[in-house]
Amino acid sequence: MTRAVRHIAMLTLKDLRIEARGRQTVGLVAVLAVLIVVVLGIGLSPGRGADGLSATAILWVAYLFGGVLVFERTMEVERHDDALAGLLLAPVDRGAIFAAKLLANLLLMFAIAVIVTPVAVLFFHFDLSAAPGGFAAVMLVSMVGYAAIGTLFAALTSSTRLAGGLLAMLVFPVALPLVLASTRLLHGVFEQGEALGGAGLAVLIAFDLIFLVVSWLVFEMVLEA
Amino acid sequence: MSSSLSTTIVRLYWLATLLLFAAVAWMLVFWTPREASMGDVQKIFYIHLPAAIHTFVACFVVFVGSVMYLLQRRLWWDDVASAAAKVSVLLASLVLLTGMVWGRSAWGHWWTWSPRLTFSLILWLLYVVYLVIRPSIESSQKRALISAVYGVIAFLDVPLVYLSTKLLPDIHPKEIVLTARMGTTLLAWFAPMTMLAAGLIVVSFRINRLRRTSLEEVETEFEEPRLVPAGGNA
Amino acid sequence: MNGRLAIPTSDTPQPANRGARGDRAPASGLRLTPMIDAAVASPAVRSVNLCKVIDDRPILRDLTFELPAACYVGLLGANGAGKTTLLRLLSTLTTPTRGDLEIFGRSVRGHGPAIRAGIGLIGHQPMLYRDLSALENLVFFGRLHDLSEPTVRAMDLLEFVGLADRAHDAVKTFSRGMVQRVSIARSLLHEPRLLLADEPFAGLDAPSARTVERLLEELNGRGMAVILANHDVRQSLRLAQRVLVLRRGRLALDAPAASLSADEALEEIEKR
Repeated sequence: MTRAVRHIAMLTLKDLRIEARGRQTVGLVAVLAVLIVVVLGIGLSPGRGADGLSATAILWVAYLFGGVLVFERTMEVERHDDALAGLLLAPVDRGAIFAAKLLANLLLMFAIAVIVTPVAVLFFHFDLSAAPGGFAAVMLVSMVGYAAIGTLFAALTSSTRLAGGLLAMLVFPVALPLVLASTRLLHGVFEQGEALGGAGLAVLIAFDLIFLVVSWLVFEMVLEA
Repeated sequence: MSSSLSTTIVRLYWLATLLLFAAVAWMLVFWTPREASMGDVQKIFYIHLPAAIHTFVACFVVFVGSVMYLLQRRLWWDDVASAAAKVSVLLASLVLLTGMVWGRSAWGHWWTWSPRLTFSLILWLLYVVYLVIRPSIESSQKRALISAVYGVIAFLDVPLVYLSTKLLPDIHPKEIVLTARMGTTLLAWFAPMTMLAAGLIVVSFRINRLRRTSLEEVETEFEEPRLVPAGGNA
Repeated sequence: MNGRLAIPTSDTPQPANRGARGDRAPASGLRLTPMIDAAVASPAVRSVNLCKVIDDRPILRDLTFELPAACYVGLLGANGAGKTTLLRLLSTLTTPTRGDLEIFGRSVRGHGPAIRAGIGLIGHQPMLYRDLSALENLVFFGRLHDLSEPTVRAMDLLEFVGLADRAHDAVKTFSRGMVQRVSIARSLLHEPRLLLADEPFAGLDAPSARTVERLLEELNGRGMAVILANHDVRQSLRLAQRVLVLRRGRLALDAPAASLSADEALEEIEKR
């Protein structure tokens, strides 16, 4: 077990080091995400129906597209020059490879969220003060599930010619329950003053658990082909 | 089985399906009582419900085909899954359309973000994606693998979609109490719908197999897999 | 270039004979492969009726052969003949459909990790992270292989392939030939007993190809079994002691390299 943990840490650090070494995924994707927020902000300028809570929906659009780019780029690191073959030939558990890639994707997504979320909050006059922790928790839990399916599908599609469009097509419909449940949950918390929890949170957690386990299992099958 | 005998069986099957459809259509129009609050539009329900249930059955067949492909890596299972996916999209379209007609009659709008309509829409989208991504993946092995993984994930997503749509504010549907005759009609509609769904899956599967074997005859040289599965962008 | 090259490059004379190679100074003390007595060791590869079916297509059919430890075998065949699939089976990246495959006496079924620990693989792709330096790459893979002193080992190997002075440069700044040498160093990190080379000369210019050729010979001279899949028939016949020819998934020929002319080998490969 400690060996697996050590491997996961090494593999994740390797991805972060490569990111720091000039791939600049975070910068690129954060700017894209801000662009998305701006486009939607101009389209739905407040006063024409878009209230503060619209920020959550708009953030979701930014997270979804930003996530796809992150998943693609971190997997491209493995595909380029077949570095993945080197990993597969080392005595490393395939589950550790998945876990490390998922962790790297999540860390990069968090970094992007930290940049883009304040922008959306500012543009849409979203008053976070009612439940800042609740907002963060809902988004974090949602991202885990999204990153799980994203990591799995990125491994599958990274070698096809249409990688970009294809990955977005595959993960967006599957991620819709996350969008629905998290926006309803935040609606309850911010508009109705409800406590965080209930069926919405249960859906998010169920999504995370189901797709963490399934992605982990299938990732191994896909690699051992 | 001789080919002429199997052709006869296929013809008889579709003839029986057609006759059953005629019979249940007659039941629907002339025998089933008119529902008081919704009027004739309520009769769409007898088509809507069997179609919805068979959508799930078809999605389940996609799931089984996908799991079996992942375990056995035989394209036969990919043909099963993709055949069922076509039928599930067809039936989901029917569910979505009948649902919209119902909504228009009950609430005055073709589209509302009610839990049921939203659920049908997302379900439809999930499986439309399955179908539309396939032609864009050239290698048949890779297409089968990506489809199979997606087929598994999409099916497991269905209950989550259902639970999440339940969080949407519901417009309360008008209470419909089924009389005995209404119940009988509903049950009767399951027979031809089941035959239609099963028949279409088999037909679509056979077309898949034929296309596969004819392709194999053309391809004299096959492509060897790369060193790393699904590998590389050389 | 570095004056203390551990391997002969194209402009240095080749050692006179195989026996002289073992006592070359610069790489002395560097362990590349475990010392084994080829006479008593289990064969490097033993394949009995090996079959591989992928998506209903038989890719490999009834391969039966045995390769002794420390052999140098050339694997020849047209595109799609099954070379890559055979290498994937040997490296345990995939499992046989039927038949037995043993690597150093261990069946590939259920011994994946143990077998991988004894196998090195080089290909036409370097299997390195281009944004990391040569040393970082080797240390990273060395750690994955549980080496006790990955940095020392990595530096020794970079010296062996003649790239010690470029250890801290990113791999993406290297020429194709240098990348291939780092790749060879990567494959040697864990002292494998069997080296699988899948088209290692693809895309290399003549001097780089010569360097890689000599590295492989050097390793084989030290007791490492080498299996080389290659398009260049003449080159394989020159380098290997023995050749296996695959034709549409079957073993068409298994013969000593010296007994075969290039034309005969080509005929075997291209026969319908």
